[in-house]
Amino acid sequence: MTLHLDRRHFLGLAGVTASAAALAACGGPSTTGGGQATSQAADIDFNGVKPAAKIDFWSSHPGQSQDVEKSLIEKFQAKNPGISVNLVTAGANYEEIAQKFQTAQAAKSGLPAVVVLSDVWWFRYYTNGSIIPVDSLTKQLDMKMDDFQQSLINDYEYDGKQWAVPYGRSTPLFYYNKDHFAAAGLPDRAPKTWDEFGQWAPKLKAASGAQYAYIYPALAGYAGWTLQNMLWGWGGGWSKEWDIICDSTESVAALQWAQDSIYKDKWAGVSSKEAADDFSAGLTSATIASTGSLLGILKSAKFNVGVGFLPGGPKAATNVCPTGGAGLGIPSGISKEEQLAAGMFLDFVTQPESTAEFSAATGYMPTRKSADMKAVLAKTPQIQTAVDQLAVTKVQDNARVFLPGADQEMAKAAAKILTQQGDVKSTMTELKATLEGIYTKDVKPKLKA
Amino acid sequence: MTRQLAPQPPAKTNRSPGQSGKVPRRRWTARSRRDFFVFLAMALPNLVLIAVFTYRPLFSNVYYSTLDWTLGSPTATVVGLGNYVTFFSSNDAPKVLGTTAVFTVVTVGGSMLLGLLVALALNAKVRGTTFARSAVFAPYVLSGVGVGLVWLFIFDPGYGVLAWLLRGIGHQSPQWINDPQLSLVMVILVYVWKNLGYCAVVYLAGLQSLPQEVMEAASLDGANGFRRFTSISLPLLSPTTFFLLITTLLSSLQAFDLIRIMTPLGTGTSTLIYEAYLQAFGAYNRAGYSAAISVVLFAILLVITVLQLRFVERKVHYS
Repeated sequence: MTLHLDRRHFLGLAGVTASAAALAACGGPSTTGGGQATSQAADIDFNGVKPAAKIDFWSSHPGQSQDVEKSLIEKFQAKNPGISVNLVTAGANYEEIAQKFQTAQAAKSGLPAVVVLSDVWWFRYYTNGSIIPVDSLTKQLDMKMDDFQQSLINDYEYDGKQWAVPYGRSTPLFYYNKDHFAAAGLPDRAPKTWDEFGQWAPKLKAASGAQYAYIYPALAGYAGWTLQNMLWGWGGGWSKEWDIICDSTESVAALQWAQDSIYKDKWAGVSSKEAADDFSAGLTSATIASTGSLLGILKSAKFNVGVGFLPGGPKAATNVCPTGGAGLGIPSGISKEEQLAAGMFLDFVTQPESTAEFSAATGYMPTRKSADMKAVLAKTPQIQTAVDQLAVTKVQDNARVFLPGADQEMAKAAAKILTQQGDVKSTMTELKATLEGIYTKDVKPKLKA
Repeated sequence: MTRQLAPQPPAKTNRSPGQSGKVPRRRWTARSRRDFFVFLAMALPNLVLIAVFTYRPLFSNVYYSTLDWTLGSPTATVVGLGNYVTFFSSNDAPKVLGTTAVFTVVTVGGSMLLGLLVALALNAKVRGTTFARSAVFAPYVLSGVGVGLVWLFIFDPGYGVLAWLLRGIGHQSPQWINDPQLSLVMVILVYVWKNLGYCAVVYLAGLQSLPQEVMEAASLDGANGFRRFTSISLPLLSPTTFFLLITTLLSSLQAFDLIRIMTPLGTGTSTLIYEAYLQAFGAYNRAGYSAAISVVLFAILLVITVLQLRFVERKVHYS
């Protein structure tokens, strides 16, 4: 046999092979179905299914909860000796865990059985078809759904189905330095309104020696979340249902007031990394941070810490606190056996005793009405404020939680206003156009009629 | 003339210039076949690795750039060049390309210029240069994540070292992290600090290989130090400069870790590669759009490399 293979031919052949391999590897998503998938709302039948022997639980350990998560897993395994739960640190925050989860979805491998999902991510998982409704599991496992705090469980309801259960749920809380307040001759309480705090702030700054009377939470964090408090107080918001209203007179007035507190009145600043750390370090006399930061602040602050409800504004003095934090969901791309074991784990970690233990370790709110919080409150009475505030919380604006990337766009707009003294009205007009673009392209086509 | 793959002995085609006949095909001898299989055994594993881990993602990425695909979704829509049109017609393109240009030009220029100055200092025959050389080179081998975290602590306007020093002389710290322009300055400063050691060490090697007799001759002819540097050292260093230009340019265009750690939102620091990351893995999950940005970056890198090899290399003086 004669072979006629010179280098050129060989390279050509290799090139063709490589190209073929490359094209063959162009698996990725299916382009035949058209449009994007949403999670199937059909009930999954778990009758006759045996739970998997081993499952992965992906967590970002919200509120430094790694130890309490390990403790809960040990208790679950003792109760269910046939199921082993592997706790995986899948990110340092909600965004990193979402990144890992989305990547596993794209790779179609390595998915966990239980995943921590934040308020701004679960709906995206629903629209991508990445998670299953937990209704049939809660039914089969006889989970007492009416024992959950209603405002917290309702957050994960869409299209008549329950897509997750609440886990590390929080609200923002007003933190203040009691020593600074006393030095300034102020009452030992959180201000009722921002205007009241505006009157207190110069006295606070003069008496405390701190750099700021108030520090706005870091914009790279969740600016869109905490700023809802001010927007609602002034009668505005990011959106009303699906109408973007961030450029309304009320919203602009709220953000103008915030900008003035930094540039005109000069008593406020913007955190660079973590407002809770700035507050604990004594850099500021007050701030707003998650209830999940409560225990961390109490541990690290070398002064008396006070907590209170979020201040109201000129239009709304109450119901100006958004809910937030994370829930637990079950991926669709795993076996029924894993999904069932995951459901059993969900049931266990949301039991009243478990949520009380989680709350005691982190400061997150107990998600069950029947959770016995006496021991927890005796040790950390400040948690009661967070629990009480739950009665005056408000569901977040659609624009923040349902529009992909909206939180990031809100943070950029807030940065322009609060750190570069950008014009509030034009910045908000620009943001409105961006958010409407995201809604029209990424969300509207996927909404149920 | 066709170069044979592994012919033994060397081929003789006996073809005269005017002859248009076919090149005579040679039979494969047992030895040439054995050599060919040895060649395959050695080359194929590498070719397969390159095909799977370099060309496959490259082709896949080009394919994904033609899709409207949300990361994590099992389905996507083919949009052709739609993602490219969206990128170039959006407000993002000038911002991102501008940031990339500023970051690249300043970091490459800064690292090379400061690296050269440091190399000249280290080339002096004084005590302690070995220690100084190690100290200058050390940041280059450190993890970008660690470097970013430490420098963040230095720059933090609230309780950073720099803020503390500035407060000591009655000044407030600039808003390094929240102000987009200052964020870019901050990241550039740290990037140059981290990478100038690499340029310094490469330049130092170049300086130490310069022919001393030429320098001595120039000295005897009355050329002062500056003249010797500009007229002799610098031209003779041109191969080193060319090598550094290519390597630092490519690494600067692909800088990621420092930007990710120091400015996670990418406000003011969103270069092409970071924008591609943010679009796919940040809050947006626009995998197709991100792939299009990656292809734009790939095209830019390719053009720069070809231009450098074609035109800049001609100016290089090899001793």
